[in-house]
Amino acid sequence: MKRELTKATICLFAISVICFTSCNSGQKKQKSEEQEIVESVNVDGKLVDDFKKSKLIFYSLPSPLETAMLIKRAGATYNEDLLNPLSNIDKYSTNRQKALNLGVYSADLSYTSLFDQTQSSIRYMANAKKLADGLGIIDAIDENTMRKLEENIDNRDVMLDIISETFMSSNAYLTENDRPAIAVMVLVGGWVEGLYLATRLTNGSVENNKRLIDRIVYQKLSLYTVINLLEEYKSNEDVNYILTKVGELNEIFEQVEINNTSKVEAETDAETRVTTIKAESEAVISPVVFDKLMKKVEEIRTEFIS
Amino acid sequence: MRIVIVLIFCLGLIGSVNGQCMGFAKDVGKEALGSYLHDGNYNATILEEGEKAELYKTFFSEQKYRVAISKVDELPDIHFRVLDRNGNVLFDNVKYDYQLVWDFEVASTQMLIIELNVLEHNKESEELVAGCVSVMFGIEPDKKKRKK
Repeated sequence: MKRELTKATICLFAISVICFTSCNSGQKKQKSEEQEIVESVNVDGKLVDDFKKSKLIFYSLPSPLETAMLIKRAGATYNEDLLNPLSNIDKYSTNRQKALNLGVYSADLSYTSLFDQTQSSIRYMANAKKLADGLGIIDAIDENTMRKLEENIDNRDVMLDIISETFMSSNAYLTENDRPAIAVMVLVGGWVEGLYLATRLTNGSVENNKRLIDRIVYQKLSLYTVINLLEEYKSNEDVNYILTKVGELNEIFEQVEINNTSKVEAETDAETRVTTIKAESEAVISPVVFDKLMKKVEEIRTEFIS
Repeated sequence: MRIVIVLIFCLGLIGSVNGQCMGFAKDVGKEALGSYLHDGNYNATILEEGEKAELYKTFFSEQKYRVAISKVDELPDIHFRVLDRNGNVLFDNVKYDYQLVWDFEVASTQMLIIELNVLEHNKESEELVAGCVSVMFGIEPDKKKRKK
């Protein structure tokens, strides 16, 4: 998630919301003393204009759950050997390792759950809990979560809902407690693991499963989001390092061509409240580039989980 | 000089103004997705009247997405549009009475921009309103409901 604000506008925004800190929902405020201070200062008019015009920018990556769904719906199979071994958890002592592998284990957890591997799901959730605890993420995954998961092993929908909620809670906790760099590393760890699983499940061929190849190729669009997210926090040494690795991946994705071959048009059905966006698109990846991509993803993922 | 004091003061408080929308996103935002499975991403923040936000997301083909924008009741309507990367408007909720929950399907995978603009109540008013706004993405679940 990226918020494109200058320090000054952040401050002005902060002042404007300070008086709302006591409650969770909306509040109506009188012009506060703080605002009056700001307004009484002879502030550069441009600054005020910038404040009014400033936009918050968010980037939403495909979550581990969405990626696992894409993999499954592309007709891929389950392969436990591809997962990050549970025993690796003992290796993770730094915040970077914990954050990246919280993402990695979350992706593995989503994959196991989508394929109804319930016992593995419980074990991967337990590992995710340990890493979340290690990062000081309070209450995102607690004993109650584990119990609910065990009680619902026969109900995939509930299990997926629990996984979705724990992922959101971890991300929200980090974002809202001034640890956005850690939050971004969790997201990127999950994204890389999803890409790793997808590429490996092709068995190295661009011909075996074209739907899965299609999903992989279009991750080029998600990579734009990944890079923007990382750029925002590159002053953090760990994030900057990951950005370097992702940059190497980007060099390969630049050799993938994605083109809209028709105009993007939308058709909306007001009754059903569905908008269908129609555009023909063409994505091309050569076997050579795919091989390079697969190797690079494996290299980065191996580094993340080691 | 006073502006400098204000800047220092507010920088110290940025942390404390965060941490407000997590409960809202869980209790209200996620609820708005109905039967769709929440993707697990957290997109929520405090927005004020007149403020704008943009969210970039890749929508994959063959998936049906529900976009559910939620806001606290005190905020005015939110103008919500979906644009492609070239800025072409593909959906505009002004045409649909500012509906904040809508489903989308894409024929081919596209990166789209969800644009939000919190409208202003009354420009003459001295009161300003701000509150939590969440943008949740749901994915249509498989037809199979239970593991056999």
